[in-house]
Amino acid sequence: MNDKCIETGTIQAFLDGETSHDLSAVISKHLAVCDKCVLALADAEEESAIVFSALDREFDSLVPTQRLWSSINEALAVEKSKISFWDKIRISLSSLLANPSLTVAASVLVVFGIFAAVWSLRPAGSNNGDVSSVSDTGREQQARPERIDAVTMPKRVSPKSAVLYKVDVSNLSNEKVGKLAKTANFRQGSDQLRVRPAVIKSVAAAEDYLPGEESYMRTISDLKQNVDGQKDRILNPSSRIAYERDMAVVNDSIGKMKEVVKKNPKNQSAKQVLYSSYQNKIDLLNSVVEREELMASLVR
Amino acid sequence: MFRNGLQVNKLAISLCLAAVTAVGGYGQSPTPRPAQRPSVRVDTPKPTSPKYYPRPAIASADTSESAMEVDPNVFIQFPCISQAKVTISGWERNEIRVFIKDGSKMRFRVHEKDPVSDKPKWVLITILALDGARAPMSDCISGESIEIDVPVKASLAIKGYQFETTIDSVKKVEIKNLGGNVALRNISGGITAATYEGDVAVENSGGQISLETSTGNIIAYEVGPGQIGDTFKAKTTNGSVMLQKVDHRQIEANSVSGSVTFDGKFLSGGLYNFKTTNGSIKLSIPTDSSFKVIASYGFGTFNTTFPLKILTETESPGGKSSVAVMGVGDASVNVTTSSGSIGIGKQP
Repeated sequence: MNDKCIETGTIQAFLDGETSHDLSAVISKHLAVCDKCVLALADAEEESAIVFSALDREFDSLVPTQRLWSSINEALAVEKSKISFWDKIRISLSSLLANPSLTVAASVLVVFGIFAAVWSLRPAGSNNGDVSSVSDTGREQQARPERIDAVTMPKRVSPKSAVLYKVDVSNLSNEKVGKLAKTANFRQGSDQLRVRPAVIKSVAAAEDYLPGEESYMRTISDLKQNVDGQKDRILNPSSRIAYERDMAVVNDSIGKMKEVVKKNPKNQSAKQVLYSSYQNKIDLLNSVVEREELMASLVR
Repeated sequence: MFRNGLQVNKLAISLCLAAVTAVGGYGQSPTPRPAQRPSVRVDTPKPTSPKYYPRPAIASADTSESAMEVDPNVFIQFPCISQAKVTISGWERNEIRVFIKDGSKMRFRVHEKDPVSDKPKWVLITILALDGARAPMSDCISGESIEIDVPVKASLAIKGYQFETTIDSVKKVEIKNLGGNVALRNISGGITAATYEGDVAVENSGGQISLETSTGNIIAYEVGPGQIGDTFKAKTTNGSVMLQKVDHRQIEANSVSGSVTFDGKFLSGGLYNFKTTNGSIKLSIPTDSSFKVIASYGFGTFNTTFPLKILTETESPGGKSSVAVMGVGDASVNVTTSSGSIGIGKQP
């Protein structure tokens, strides 16, 4: 500080609130009588305003701005470029080996790769070259289209076999091959095989209903749908265990009695026990629904 | 690159050995490894969410007592009790007295008055209104114990979360809670009690009776109808039903994985249904009983000490049944179990 006027740095510190309480009092007192210092303070304030307005966007945002990110990324890129190639490999390998699962996976991959290499290096005569897997076929189509002559679907597709297409070597045009690749549904055969039995089963189940059984089943299905989504929330662990146990008992009874009725549809006694078990299941599911209703009526 | 297949095989074997050694060596390193998970997935219930029985929001735990003069046939309603040991007794005074120990403050809300006597005949007992934001269950009464005296002709309706209840000497009771034992005595005008976790015991009561619990036993002793046509129903999923001296003409007792026991009379023209899925049914009746029994016992057994006259009998596995009659068959008895035993015996 000069004899009369305050230094610019002190004015800036005063503006930033970094001066001590006593010094702030002295400065305030001086500013009250010194026009020059007031002007200097005004200039400093103006400068601060300009700077802060420019930085406002950075300061105000809760997340780092794009500019900040790009500058961080630039700095990181510079740091990265300083690391040598071997250092990079060493770091990535050590980070990979730090994870036991990855180490095991890498080992398995190495072993698998070796076996694959051995397989591919075998003499051509020992390979079943006319049949390849779906993924291999796809790769072959994209990589070497000029060698493909025709893509034929096998008449019967074995569900367990991954072999779906037979590829013969010849000369289809690139456009045709591209079109074939786009329109081909590589999973079609296996999907159909999965869906069909379920449909047949449900049709068969519908045919097997006893008189009145279907309405029980429908009610149970509706209630179950409602209960399954809520039981974790409504039932505490002990109730949940009791519920699951009772449900298992009832389901077991239903299963057994259905078998008996299936063998002898005229067995009225078995039917009665079966219906009774269905009713028990409905009561059991209803108890959860009623509990939910009671809770809803209590919570306000 | 490789002269023959032997070289390739040698290389593959060496790499395999190297990989195995690396994995084994890593396994011996002191690096802490995550704990191994069990191979079998056990489908256990999810952790409890605080929604089951949340802690009651008590504005101020206090001991309070309030009283109010009411009509003798008053209907008293408790919209919500969250947690307490509740004791309700009937008395000869036309007055309600509520004593709450270490709990929330309550108030009476009169919904309806008797036009003649101008005394309240429909009263709600609720928590004293809270100021500001309401927490969950803040409208529920709670406390360490709640003692209530009501007129003997009063009817009660109680709902709530988790509370033990003992009610003695009132006209009618309707109670529903999520958990807690319910004990009812000397209720003359009918009972509807449902709890989801707890026992229900009824003694020396009458009227239309419906008792229900999910996890708990049901016990009824010396219970009868208030008028002709009153029924008795007891239903539990995970517990036993024990009925002794229940004189209703229509009785239905049902359990899923518990036993059903009946010790009483089969009245003329009565209809009795006893069912369980995985438990036994034991009926103990007087020697001079007259009834027709239809027993369906799936994979179970049927035994009796009565000289029953068998009308029809099926012995096919899984579908066993017996239709038998004792005397002239005044009462109809249906007993059904899937895999339990049925026994009908004489009272000592």
